[in-house]
Amino acid sequence: RYSSMKDYLSELDKETKKALETFYGFSEGKSKVRRSADEWNSTESDFFKQIPLLKFEDFSRTATDLRSGQKRKIEGSVFHKDSSIVNSGDSNDIIGFQLCDANNSSECALYTFSSGVNAIQEWYKLHYMNIMAQIPLETKERLSYSADDLLLTCFFDGLSCDKRHFTRFHHPLHGNCYTFNSGANGTILSTSTGGSEYGLQVVLYIDEADYNPFLVTSTGAKIMVHDQDEYPFIEDIGTEIETAAATSIGMHFTRSRKLSKPYSDCTETGADIPVENLYNKSYSLQICLHSCFQKAMVDSCGCAQYAQPLPAGAEYCNYKKNPNWMYCYYRLHEKFVKEQLGCQQICKDACSFKEWALTTSIAQWPSTVSEDWMLRVLSWDKGQKINKKLNKTDLANLMVFYKDLNERFISENPANTLVILLSNFGGQLGLWMSCSVVCVIEIVEVFFIDSLSIVMRRQWQKAKKWWNDRKRDQSGKPPQAGDPERQGHNNPMCVDEDLPTFNTALRLPLPQDNPLPRTPPPNYSTLRLETAFTEQLPDTLEVGQH
Amino acid sequence: MNLKKYFVRALHRLQKGPGYTYKELLVWYCDNTNTHGPKRIIKEGPKKKFIWFFLTLLFASLVFWQWGILINTYLSYNVTSSLSIGFKTMKFPAVTVCNANPFKYSEVKHLLKELDRLIEAALERILQPSPGNSSENTSLPLDLELWHQIPLVLIDEHDKDNPIILDIFERNQTAKDNGTTAGNATTAGNEILCSHQGSDNCTYRNFTSAAQAVTEWYILQSTSILSKVPLQERIRMGYQAEDMILACLYGAEPCNYKNFTQIYHPDHGNCYIFNWGMDEEALNSSNPGAEFGLKLILDISQQDYIPYLSSAAGARLMLHQQKSFPFLKDQGIYAMAGTETSIGVLVDELERMGYPYSDCTMNGSDVPVKNLYSQYNTSYSIQACLRSCFQNHMVEICGCGHYMFPLPEGVNYCNNEDYPGWAYCYSSLRSSIRHRQICIDSCKETCNDTQYKMTISMADWPSEASEDWIFHILSYERDMSTNVTLDRNGIIKLNIYFQEYNYRTISESAATTIVWLLSSLGGQFGFWMGGSVLCLIEFGEIIIDSLWITIINVISWCKGLKQKRAQARYPDAPPTVSELVEAHTNLGFQHEDAGALPRDEALPPEPGTPPPNYDSLRVQPLDILSPDSDAD
Repeated sequence: RYSSMKDYLSELDKETKKALETFYGFSEGKSKVRRSADEWNSTESDFFKQIPLLKFEDFSRTATDLRSGQKRKIEGSVFHKDSSIVNSGDSNDIIGFQLCDANNSSECALYTFSSGVNAIQEWYKLHYMNIMAQIPLETKERLSYSADDLLLTCFFDGLSCDKRHFTRFHHPLHGNCYTFNSGANGTILSTSTGGSEYGLQVVLYIDEADYNPFLVTSTGAKIMVHDQDEYPFIEDIGTEIETAAATSIGMHFTRSRKLSKPYSDCTETGADIPVENLYNKSYSLQICLHSCFQKAMVDSCGCAQYAQPLPAGAEYCNYKKNPNWMYCYYRLHEKFVKEQLGCQQICKDACSFKEWALTTSIAQWPSTVSEDWMLRVLSWDKGQKINKKLNKTDLANLMVFYKDLNERFISENPANTLVILLSNFGGQLGLWMSCSVVCVIEIVEVFFIDSLSIVMRRQWQKAKKWWNDRKRDQSGKPPQAGDPERQGHNNPMCVDEDLPTFNTALRLPLPQDNPLPRTPPPNYSTLRLETAFTEQLPDTLEVGQH
Repeated sequence: MNLKKYFVRALHRLQKGPGYTYKELLVWYCDNTNTHGPKRIIKEGPKKKFIWFFLTLLFASLVFWQWGILINTYLSYNVTSSLSIGFKTMKFPAVTVCNANPFKYSEVKHLLKELDRLIEAALERILQPSPGNSSENTSLPLDLELWHQIPLVLIDEHDKDNPIILDIFERNQTAKDNGTTAGNATTAGNEILCSHQGSDNCTYRNFTSAAQAVTEWYILQSTSILSKVPLQERIRMGYQAEDMILACLYGAEPCNYKNFTQIYHPDHGNCYIFNWGMDEEALNSSNPGAEFGLKLILDISQQDYIPYLSSAAGARLMLHQQKSFPFLKDQGIYAMAGTETSIGVLVDELERMGYPYSDCTMNGSDVPVKNLYSQYNTSYSIQACLRSCFQNHMVEICGCGHYMFPLPEGVNYCNNEDYPGWAYCYSSLRSSIRHRQICIDSCKETCNDTQYKMTISMADWPSEASEDWIFHILSYERDMSTNVTLDRNGIIKLNIYFQEYNYRTISESAATTIVWLLSSLGGQFGFWMGGSVLCLIEFGEIIIDSLWITIINVISWCKGLKQKRAQARYPDAPPTVSELVEAHTNLGFQHEDAGALPRDEALPPEPGTPPPNYDSLRVQPLDILSPDSDAD
């Protein structure tokens, strides 16, 4: 980020920062006791000095010393004392800032840090976000590093590459970042061999002198290896690389896949998560958490936090429009961290993810003997744009390569599928009972359907009998006697309806149906095997008749 | 006739068994099979018959569907991996240390003198591109012979259609570029590679950065020069063990440079391998922690680096398995001068199952690439295979071997004098995707793989307070001199040790075995239909029987046809005896007519006898009848 170019916008901010720096800066050579006294003195003078600059700044940038009660009192006249203290340190000099609700100034939150460094950085970041939120994206992109600035040489897979292989994306805090092989132009480069000479080798130009002194205190670059459709959360999981050194990063690729629903609680695409994905990339837990927080921010504060993308219809927070956003943000952030927003419960892991295990090692670069010509040639490469000779602390050499092309794929398989369950079931049933589903159905058939129908028939018969009896009782002498006698083989109703035709009767010896009515009924009955049916026979016949 | 007799006998056999029509056969089968379900089809009334028929069909299809799934699962040869983590006494990895710079500059200066002067002059030209400024430091005539083989050119592409190619040492020449340049609008350093001097077969290798171009150019040239130097000489020019390894401590035992095996690595010159396990047993380490690891102090003497060859300074080291070749460019890490680098090691062991579960090789013997690294007595690895494959292609196409890889027998390394077009050949081969793909396809991974996961951390070393005495002692030990001959830029301390959990074994086992498959198949069949292999055999029997019936039917049909034809010819020809006999034996004729009443045919056929009066006594027909009437 070119702080120099940005200066015209953040000049005010920087000026106040300078002032602040002076009042903390006193402490440098002096004792701590002196420091606190100095602090207050300067605070007061600063205090009024700040007012014309930014209206809200004085509220937020109150450096409070907890030790001196009377100072507190002066302050208390302006804002109330009942701040929700985040950190009541036991140390004597605690530095912090106070955030108040603009509408209700009695509600204040005091944020304290044990070190002034953290306090100032945090404080600065807030203001920075404020100012950046008001600048349109195009301007910001223009103000940040261009690919030409950043890349000195580029070499991939034995071939030269240049800025066209890099895709720019604007990161809220890191400014312009460049993604190599982002697949934005449709092609994804692939490497066919492992080894450092076949990977990506770039020399980055890091203009150390041009750093914003308060926002970033470390020099170097941040890199992250990620999938083409993954959003790089470079502030969260980036690897930092050093200047004046060759960083060689060997990668080992691992792909993991979890089983979704009944097996584990993960999501395939994130579509089933009630949080809108604000990032234009594939789902990840990180994206979900950030989106969830941003949504909560828009809901409760009315504006969006600068570090995350904008939801539809919202705009970034700034002092002018949302005077109390900072207070709101800090409150919300605290809730978020304490898992009170519910984001951690809503968001689920992604089922499949790719991971690159990095082995980072550093060598000195350029070596003392090659430093001279290297810097000369690189300066020439840089060419017309910059006329000064490069310093080796402005350069970082980076090599990213696959250690080997082995891919590790970790996937889950269900230990038991339905098929296996059924076959185990069948195996057990067969082993112990020689039984199958048919068997089960048979049991059901016999014990439920058949027996039920028998019972029904019995009941029906009884009911009929009873009815007939009643009828007989009522109407004297119906033809009741015939029924029992008619049962059995003599029963003419039992005769097969389709009598044998002439043809069959002639040709076939004896259709079995025929002799039946003719044979004398009772004697041979005893020969019959299925005696069980004889009992039943009347019933069936009875039913058959009706 | 013999055949006929056989058929007749078969027919009789059939009669004893299931019957002689398809329907009979089916009924017989349904009645006698052990599979649950079919029995019920024939035993019940029409409604239940239908239900049971439907159920049986459903279950049968379910069984086949599930079998399909199971067999598919089995044939995919899945594996289950088991992971175990812990600490155990393990072989300490082989540690290869090299200097990032292959040769001492003071030793190779006489070889590279011309080249260096050339590149210096070239750089001067590049950096001051004004052509009129001919302030040649004409102290010595430059060896332009080297230059002409592979000239460096500048390509000015401000004008896209007509790029100006500027040979640095020639007059300005304007030529049409052969279209290989990238459309970069700025001036870029380029190499030009020609297959032969003066031939038209040239390509330009483009670099967007002069630094990159110069480095690549220098590497090509120096490769060509150094490849002519015999190996012994090259080893002598590199760093010697006693100069490089200043102190060594393994656990509590002292070690020195003699415990290291020297190996010549084309990229890095002399490399030294600790605990390679070639001659003696590999060392075991049974304790975690830095105290029990390997501690080294190295001197890389940065002042003696070849300036243009390697711009990064440090030691290159790598942990690898015993008896494997160290591929430092792939898996090596740097250690920075002036620091203490601590490396915690975690061993990842992978045990894969071979074919058909995964495509890997146990010892590389089944890989169709000749392993050139076997001359080092090292085991197979995929890196070795890929490199050997490349070298083999190189020898095949360019006629000489590349300096970076070992040589096959009877082949020389490439150099500019003997093989003037090698650089062109090499670069076109290297960028050829087809050749790479061939190599990737033919090389296989090893089944048992050991990876060393390293946790690297660094600290400044020696500290300012201790700097003085450490340098003194080390200098004294090395040179017996009281002067400090070492400095911060050359000295490296390394600690390599096992972490608390030092191994992680991932081993594969087959997820589905044949036993598993059989029991699953049996389970499914048993579950749905109560069947077993015997039921399958029964089914097969039925199919054979039905085939028989078909054959018999076909034969009788043919016979009938013949008879009819014969009858047509001699209207009242008397039937022969055999025909008459057959008519009695072969009831096929009657059955087709009598299909409407199948149950009658189940009776033992007594064709000649009159219809018996005793029929009414028979048990069987009643048997069948009663359920029939029951259903009515």
